[in-house]
Parts: sequence; structure tokens; C-alpha cells
Amino acid sequence: MKKIIVCTLFGAGMLYAYDNDIEQLNAKLDQQQMVIEKLQQRIDDLENSMQKPQQGLGAFDQTSFLPDIALITNMAVVARDVKNSAYATYQIPGFLDSPGEIPFNPNRGFNMNYAELEISSTVDPYFDVATALHIEKEGLHIGELFITTRALPYHLRIKAGKFKSEFGRINQKHQHVWNFSSQPLVFETFFGPAGLNDEGIQLHWNLPTETYLMAGFEAMQGGNARSFGSSDIPPLMLGYLKGSTDLTDTTSLLAGATYMHGRNPEGHTDIYGADLTLKSFLGSYSAVSWQSELLYRNKDGTGKQAGLYSELVYDYDQNWAVGVRYDTLFKNIDTQPDDLDRYTMMIQYKPFEFSKLRLQYTYDRSKVIDGVRRDIQEILLGLTIEAGAHGTHAF
Amino acid sequence: MRALFTLLFIGITLLSANVNVVTTYPYLAETVKAVGGDLVRVKTLASPKMDPHFIVPKPSLIPLLSRADLLVINGAGLEIGWLPPLLKRAHNPHIQPGSIGFVDGSQVIHLLNRPSSVSRAYGDVHPEGNPHYALDPHNIIPLAKLIAKRLAKIDPEHQSDYQTNLATFLTRWQTFLKAFDQRMQACQGKKVVQYHNLFNYFLKRYGIVSVGTIEPLPGIAPSAKHTIALIGLMKKEKIGMILQDVYHERKTAHFIASKTGADVVLLPHDVSAVEGANTLQNFYQTIAKRLCPSSK
Repeated sequence: MKKIIVCTLFGAGMLYAYDNDIEQLNAKLDQQQMVIEKLQQRIDDLENSMQKPQQGLGAFDQTSFLPDIALITNMAVVARDVKNSAYATYQIPGFLDSPGEIPFNPNRGFNMNYAELEISSTVDPYFDVATALHIEKEGLHIGELFITTRALPYHLRIKAGKFKSEFGRINQKHQHVWNFSSQPLVFETFFGPAGLNDEGIQLHWNLPTETYLMAGFEAMQGGNARSFGSSDIPPLMLGYLKGSTDLTDTTSLLAGATYMHGRNPEGHTDIYGADLTLKSFLGSYSAVSWQSELLYRNKDGTGKQAGLYSELVYDYDQNWAVGVRYDTLFKNIDTQPDDLDRYTMMIQYKPFEFSKLRLQYTYDRSKVIDGVRRDIQEILLGLTIEAGAHGTHAF
Repeated sequence: MRALFTLLFIGITLLSANVNVVTTYPYLAETVKAVGGDLVRVKTLASPKMDPHFIVPKPSLIPLLSRADLLVINGAGLEIGWLPPLLKRAHNPHIQPGSIGFVDGSQVIHLLNRPSSVSRAYGDVHPEGNPHYALDPHNIIPLAKLIAKRLAKIDPEHQSDYQTNLATFLTRWQTFLKAFDQRMQACQGKKVVQYHNLFNYFLKRYGIVSVGTIEPLPGIAPSAKHTIALIGLMKKEKIGMILQDVYHERKTAHFIASKTGADVVLLPHDVSAVEGANTLQNFYQTIAKRLCPSSK
């Protein structure tokens, strides 16, 4: 009897419990149903809102194919112990006998040096294109415009268009990445303010070696007036070899040798170049680098001349850097002085990666004004801005 | 003569048996090794001692890229400051973005901290989101799967080997994660301060709260004003731990520690960034040991 009662009670209890469970489950199901309905509503809303642009507005939208565009500008305020009118007529004896275009900061006072619009994009699987347009007070001109190949085999790359020659170190770099605001004397006198920048074609080949070795060959129109200036075929030919090795985990050596052969109105011009860069990293944000370049020129109608620059820069941290540079034109033609040199030092502050302020002092012993040697001192405070989608600078 | 042929044959098989893989960071190399085994030869570009945003594009790295069959990158903008000029000079069409030999790990990761608007006025922000996803050990799984898939495409002869390797690795990794997740439960709800938003993925995964950063904006050096505000905040919130990475200056962290009594804890951000973190497992375990000493 007891057993039956216990069983009945147990059974009733179980049923009651089941009932309870079922009620709870039902309530839960209702809740879930509501959640599902709400979610469905949201999905419908989203789909509705997504369908709207398909009605036409976005059908031919190409904004994701916009090229990278950057605006770069450099300006400076300058103090100099020579009047602007006199400075505009300076000569460098033997090297620059008629006053030429002054590379940067021609005036004491305020200088808006340039604005540069850099546009680059991948064209298709086979080509990239890049251009640097100089916006000047007189108008717009093409600083560089070239295509490079993307898909050549055997570690080859071809560049064609108007471009800065990639021999040596400083020639291929734009002023806004230089460590000093002025162009090295030997580059100013041999190639002019834009450096060796010409229409032509270039072939680069990475040798299949463990260490970095790159051979470059360029053929250019030869329009550069200071060393060549004969714009007809055969073109100006350049060859160079660059190599780099790591001396330690944190110290890299980069060296290069260049030979170029072209014509000038009075015959041929040969230029030999050598460059050496040593860079040591003291951490993620600190480095010491020493960079030097030597150029030797043998130009029919002028003679044999040579110059070099050597610069030492210490990046203290992400913000601060200091540097010194020695510039010299140490070999000149007969009867002309060969003690033409210049000393430059700078301290630089970068509030952030894309802007920099530079204070630079120059003592210049290379100039002749009104027929007499004239030592020039200059203090400059410059600002460089790189805004927009700007590619990373190479080593 | 026969010996010569044998040698030649061995030489050729050795050459062809290996896929040359280059990775940007060490943790990617470890993942590739786990999936690729003996079939791959892996080289890494970046040193784990350096800031991953600012690796020096040394020309000596170019030959590695020139010869690579597969390039595996972290992506999400972490390499944008140093890899493009190297890749451009490598003249290697097989590993250009968009080709089969280019793998961007961030493509299979759900990125955190994706900004709703982007301007450089906010410092070095990544429009794609926080790129330091390697700090979450769970992200290794989709990454390993992606790498295995791509290796199989490049080297279809060994497809089944990569699948086997992947399966073995995933089993091992799941076991590791189970124990690791359990271990990290000890520190849920803990509050910390870090130098840069570097450890967010790890912190979010294990319910640890990052209350602030030593740098005022991403990529901008600490300022006195921001440091003082941070000290005040840490005192108010009673925060006892500052997470320091290996490559930023440590003075500010120690100064804040001296004012607040907090501990400065040096954490690896990648495999081999600190002593004893030379494998994927050791890397995460080192973080756990230092960030959450109460765990075991």
C-alpha cells in the first residue's frame, strides 16, 4: 500500500514537474520566436537599405580604384648675408660660369619652394604608374611620369617615361626626403636643380645572389644641359651596380658605382660616380647614418672636374635629428680654384611622420659674385609637409 | 658518372622539394613551419626586438623577397611603413599583392577597434582596425588554415601532407587553448594600462580591461600633460599594472609606476621578443605568466 502511495505521489510529482517544465519551455519558445521575428525585421530593413544604391546610384561607382594622391610642399624663411639681387647672379668658378636657376630658397625672406602633387596607381596586372607634378607659380609641369613593370620574369623590371635617374643615392630622391634643404654642390653644378631627370628607359636586374646586388642600365634623351645637352640619338647611356650587406644585425652597408657616357655640343661627356652609405640602428627609432657620393666628370670643351659630399646624420628619436654635411668641388680645370667647399649643419624636429621643421646653417665658400669670391652665410628655417596617401621612402 | 647523376638528382629534388616562404614577422614563420614542416624553408624579415610598424627596409632583405615563392604578411596596415619599397625592388611577380604567392593574414581575422572615421589628426590610426591580432592565440587557427590552403595551391603535389600537418597542428593547438583559456580565467576583470594599443586582442579575449595608453595618440610620444592625467586615472581606478613592450622607451612607464605604485611588466608582442618566448606556445605562456602571475 505504502509503495502504491509513494509511486502515485512520485508520478504526480513528476507530471507536475513536467507540466512546469513544459510551461517554461513554451515561454522560452515564445521569447525566442520574438527574438527571431525582431532579427528577421532587422535583416529585412538591412536588405532594403542595401538594395537602394543598386537602383542605379552605385552601379558605376569607381571610388575604390582612386589612385594614391599626396600633396607635398616645402617652404622656408631665410636669413643670408648677401642681397637677393646679388645672390641671383652667383657663379661657381669653372663649374657654373653663367648664373643659372637657383635650386631652392633663392630669396632671403620667405620662400615657397614648391608644391608637388604625387599620384600613383597600379594600372593593371602588368604596369604601375607614378607621377610627380610640380605646381609652380608659373604653372604645372611634369617632374616625373613613368610606368614600371610588375610581372617581368628573371627579377627584371623596366621603367619608362620621364624619371629621375636611379644612379647613386641622392639623385633619385626628391628634395622633401633629403637630409639637408640644399642640393649638394656637385649635383647642382653637374646636373642642375632637378638632378639628372630625363626622358628615357631603365632596366633593373636583381642578381640571383644571397647578398643584394642590383645592376641598372638607363638610356636617356640627354637633354640635361649642364653635362650633356645634345638631344639627339645616340642617347645618353648609364650603367650602375649597387650592392648591400649587413655588417652586423644592426649595421648595413650600401655601395654603388656608376658610369655614364653621353654627348655635349662640343663632343663627349663621361661621368664616373661612387657612393657609400653606412647606417647603424640604435633601436626602432634611432640611427646613425653616414652617406657620401663622389662624381668625376670629363667633358669635352670643359675639362676634368670632380666633387663630393659627405653627410653624417643622427636620428635621436622619432622627433629629433641632427646632421652635418661637407660639400666640396675639389678638382677643377686649370686656372680655376679647386678649394670650393661648403659646410652645412642642421637640427630637425618632426612633430609626426608627415611633417618636419628644419633649422639649417650654411657656410658657403664656393660662390663668386660680381667677379670676386664671396663667402656666404645662411640660416634657414624650413617646413616640409607630406599629406595624403604617400608611399613609404626607401632605405 | 653515376654518382654525379645521383648527386645532381638529389640536388634537384632538394631544390624543388622546398617552398621558399618569407614572412614579415616571427609568429607567422612559426605558423608556417607548423603547417609546412619539412616541405618549406622559412625566412623572416622583421626582428622581434623592433617596433613592428617601423622595421628598417634594409636592402639586404631584398634577395629574400626576390627568391620567395610565398610571402605571408600580417596585413591591416602593420607593414605599410616598410614593406612596399622592399616589395617594389624585389622584382618578383609571384609575391605581389593579388597574386597567389601573397598571403595577408588579416583577411581571415575579425579585426577590433575599427575606426568609424579616419584622419591623421588622430595620429597613426589604421583604417582597417587594430593590426596586432597575433596577440590572441585563437587567431592562430584561421591563420594556419589559410596558410595550409595556400601552400597546397602553390605546391599541389604535397596537398595531402599540408592537410595532415594542419590537422595535427590544430589538434595540438586546440588542446593548448583549452588549458590556456582555463588558466587565464584567473585574471578576468583585471585592469591594466599599456604603452600602445598593442595587447588589445589578448586583453579582450581574457576579459582584461585596458584603461588607457601611455602614448596620447597612436604613434605619438608621451606628453607631460597626458602622463599626469593618466597617473590620476590610475590612482582613481586603482590600477596596479603597466604593460610595457620591448621597443618603446621605458622611462615614462617607470615614472608612472613610481607615482602610482603600479608594476611595469615587460611583455613580448611576438615570438622571440623576450627570452623564453621562442615558440608560439612559449610566447603566449610568457604573456600569461607575466600578466597574470596568479594563474598556473
